[in-house]
Amino acid sequence: MKTAILLAALAAGGFGAGQAAAADLAAGEERYGVNCVNCHGRTGRGMASFPSIAGRDAEFITSRLKSYRARETVGPNSALMFSLADELSDEDIANLSAFIAETFR
Amino acid sequence: MNRLTLWPLCAAIASVASYGASTGTAEADAPSLSHDTVLSGLDNPWDMAFLPDGTMFFTEKCRGLSVMMPDGEVRPLLGMVRSSDFDDIHYDLFCEGQAGMMGVAIDPDFDSNRRIYVMSTSSLTPPGSNRVMRLEVSEGFDSVANRTDIVTDIPFKPRSSAHPFGGPGAHNGGRVRFNPGDGFLYVTTGDTHNGEVPQSPTLLGGKVLRIDTDGNAAPDNGAPDGFDPRIYGYGFRNVQGIAFRPSDHRPVIAEHGPWHSDEITALVPGGNGGWDPRPNMAGRGDCPDNYCGYEPNQMEGMDPEARAAWMPMTDLETYPDAMPPAWDNNMLSQGMSSAVFLEGDQWGDWNGRLLVGLMGIGFGGTPVGQRIDVIDLAEDGLSVHDVSEMPLPMGSGRFRSLVQGPDGNLYAAIDEGDIYRIVPD
Repeated sequence: MKTAILLAALAAGGFGAGQAAAADLAAGEERYGVNCVNCHGRTGRGMASFPSIAGRDAEFITSRLKSYRARETVGPNSALMFSLADELSDEDIANLSAFIAETFR
Repeated sequence: MNRLTLWPLCAAIASVASYGASTGTAEADAPSLSHDTVLSGLDNPWDMAFLPDGTMFFTEKCRGLSVMMPDGEVRPLLGMVRSSDFDDIHYDLFCEGQAGMMGVAIDPDFDSNRRIYVMSTSSLTPPGSNRVMRLEVSEGFDSVANRTDIVTDIPFKPRSSAHPFGGPGAHNGGRVRFNPGDGFLYVTTGDTHNGEVPQSPTLLGGKVLRIDTDGNAAPDNGAPDGFDPRIYGYGFRNVQGIAFRPSDHRPVIAEHGPWHSDEITALVPGGNGGWDPRPNMAGRGDCPDNYCGYEPNQMEGMDPEARAAWMPMTDLETYPDAMPPAWDNNMLSQGMSSAVFLEGDQWGDWNGRLLVGLMGIGFGGTPVGQRIDVIDLAEDGLSVHDVSEMPLPMGSGRFRSLVQGPDGNLYAAIDEGDIYRIVPD
């Protein structure tokens, strides 16, 4: 999967240097597998009362994660997102946002 | 470093130690497992029910009821307001948040009466309610007819509230199962984020109902005077699992905890589960929107043990006669959902064990814990001899429903859209 993502990123040309983009996406994928997949799922379409994040661009995901990290309530699952976003650095958020936007189009 | 920053590490160590101590015992003669995927791409599959030939009825929370024939053909039977690809749509059936089409059960006399039972959220009674519907399946398994709503007044949460997961549709319970010991239908419900509901003698949320196939109260349900006679157990938070111990048919429930303490409880007729999230109870003051269920400090992580002391799942101080849980998931809340007792020699040491599915959720550093647990329940139902984690032959998921099929294998539905068959080899 990582190879496919790298190729997609390179083809899209949406990131600076190809190598840097691959590293970001791989780190984002790893973080997604730890923090996000349990509720948003393997394809980002959400499940139960957890919303879909498929089709969202990186700017949207970044904005939301920073809002949650700042303890701003956005929707009924905010408490859970506060807890998860609390540990994310700016770099983590950038990686996650890139991975989600690139993978779950 | 204060206690709140230390506790997740301590909790993790305690959890590992607990599982380390118990896993070896349970796995001594545990079966090795393989799996295959029965269905995939479903929309939040919620429950399954089998006929002896392998015909499988299944629900999807926002789509409705379908059946998979023994040859694998899937036929949509009863759609909901947003399910466009069903021929038969009942437009009062809807999904919202955690609510929608949930449990399904097959009448013990299906061969003669063709009846099945489905729990779903409906708009027929404003502002919405959860209903148990009786349906008759056609001889060709291509339609259902003669819908009769045998329970119409199970509460539904119509509006948002100031709580975690506070959207509409929260906490419906939703499992329906026949007890082979007495032939009655058991219906599990949830507290709908309403502090008054669980201990209410008349509101049917936060309860276990025991009824006949017309929706009438079964005899000897045992609830206190003044209670709705359909109530078999009360004082619960959100019961999504119920199973009947093969040796004596005693009902055992699995319940979501708040930010702490999922619970397994062996029921007694008329018993109180001890959940009472009303404000100004048991030393608590006012709470957001009159529901203390996630307090204290509901939006932030803290020690589950401290939470449990303040807002217990089973309040044995206020209700000394409440039914104590057999197990509290090491005081963690990880989304405990469906329950089933395994039966058959093919399961080795797990024959007769209780399985519970955990959908997985972490908060403030608690482990997510997405898994299936294998539980050796004590004879008196007041404790467990052993709890071990099933070594899954596939990836984990939000395990919403566990059912043993007529082939003796375990069927597991995950919210992401798969139904797996897990086979002991």
